[in-house]
Amino acid sequence: MTPVEWAIVALAALGAFFSGVAAIGIIRLPDVYTRAHAASKSDTLGAVLTIAAAALALETGLSTAKAVFLLVFMFLTNPTAAHAVARAAKDQGIEPWTTENDQ
Amino acid sequence: MTTSDAFRLLVPVADSVSVRNTVAHVVDMATNAAEDRPVELHVVDVASTRAVDPDAIEELAAASDLLARVEAWVAEDAGGEPPANLKLVTDVIGAARYLFSPGDYADVLLEYADEQGIDRIVLDPEYNPGGAAPMLRPLTIELALADYEIEIEEAPVARRAQRTVLVRAASLPKYLAVFGASYLFYMLLSSWKPIDFGTGLLTATLVTVLLAPVAFSEQPSFARIGKQTVRMLVYTPYLLKEIAVANLQIAYVVLHPALPIDPEVVELQAAVWGDAAVTTLANSITLTPGTLTVSVTDRAFTIHSLTAGARADLFDGGLERAVRFVFYGRESMAIATPRERGDDGGNSDG
Repeated sequence: MTPVEWAIVALAALGAFFSGVAAIGIIRLPDVYTRAHAASKSDTLGAVLTIAAAALALETGLSTAKAVFLLVFMFLTNPTAAHAVARAAKDQGIEPWTTENDQ
Repeated sequence: MTTSDAFRLLVPVADSVSVRNTVAHVVDMATNAAEDRPVELHVVDVASTRAVDPDAIEELAAASDLLARVEAWVAEDAGGEPPANLKLVTDVIGAARYLFSPGDYADVLLEYADEQGIDRIVLDPEYNPGGAAPMLRPLTIELALADYEIEIEEAPVARRAQRTVLVRAASLPKYLAVFGASYLFYMLLSSWKPIDFGTGLLTATLVTVLLAPVAFSEQPSFARIGKQTVRMLVYTPYLLKEIAVANLQIAYVVLHPALPIDPEVVELQAAVWGDAAVTTLANSITLTPGTLTVSVTDRAFTIHSLTAGARADLFDGGLERAVRFVFYGRESMAIATPRERGDDGGNSDG
């Protein structure tokens, strides 16, 4: 395998790993706010790494440019969506989970 | 029409900050005119809902309450003793149909004006029925466009504040910026066949004509946009590094058997100004170590943090400083961190 192929495999694997972390986080974390953390950060990185792997694999210049656009829009829309979810939760009066809730 | 020589004024009112002053102005105008001839002062409230609707009761009650106040104000302004030939008419109109846009309100007002033989319509400057949405023509324009021989006048009373206007005169730099950006974007998504240059040109032209007037909140300056773009390119690797660190921390926390989290909501008065800068900071905060922007009002951020370490990083202000650098240049980086400024809402113990 060439170094580029190694890089593609590594990016795709990392992307899958972080997407997995996002999924596990959404299940394990206690409330809507903490789950939004997992959904916004891990999921963004997971998708971004996977798209980066695709950008490398596509090779031709223009397709790579389009993949880069996808990356940019993931970075713009994912945090915005997480923010919208969190704000909606706050507007609904949902109290954030704290360590005291654990007892 | 009863007496054809009477001078008839129409004043639509709603509960606005300047309605009291508008009433004072029209009473003054009517009293002066009443020296020569009879004057009819029509003060109307235009109802937006139909009288048969469930929420109409409340609106109509508010309307008659307002009109009762107007009657009291008119009596007060006329010195307790209105001239004998000044007649006050108050009414709620438009309750027969739904009204949505300023155009609908203009129709109702003009219909009434036609029936009553109104000579002049006086508008409260803060009277914005049907909303002041930037895409709609305001009531003043709608009335002026109508084909009636009625004078339209805006009462010369102090406005509390000028609203920000979204639609501004489009200038050449604006057109160039919108055209360039949309053409470039189209071409980057296309396949670079000769026909794409043509369709791209067409699309970019359409986008420019339609959207240039609403595209910027201030005049674009190519020098500033260029500088901000370069600084954004410097900021991106820093942000990517922060994102990578954030994700390793989240992965550690999420995969740790004991789930070591200590979530807390904190407030932050950020030292950034302007929509673009605040949005960039809010999104950057969401993407980086254990912090999530819950709501933003002006510069006040409400942030949910997952761990104590994340809160400490937040108030160290690294991101905030970086966003300031992107939008205002290097000098602005000297502004103190949120913790030093005391803008951390007393949450600095983390």
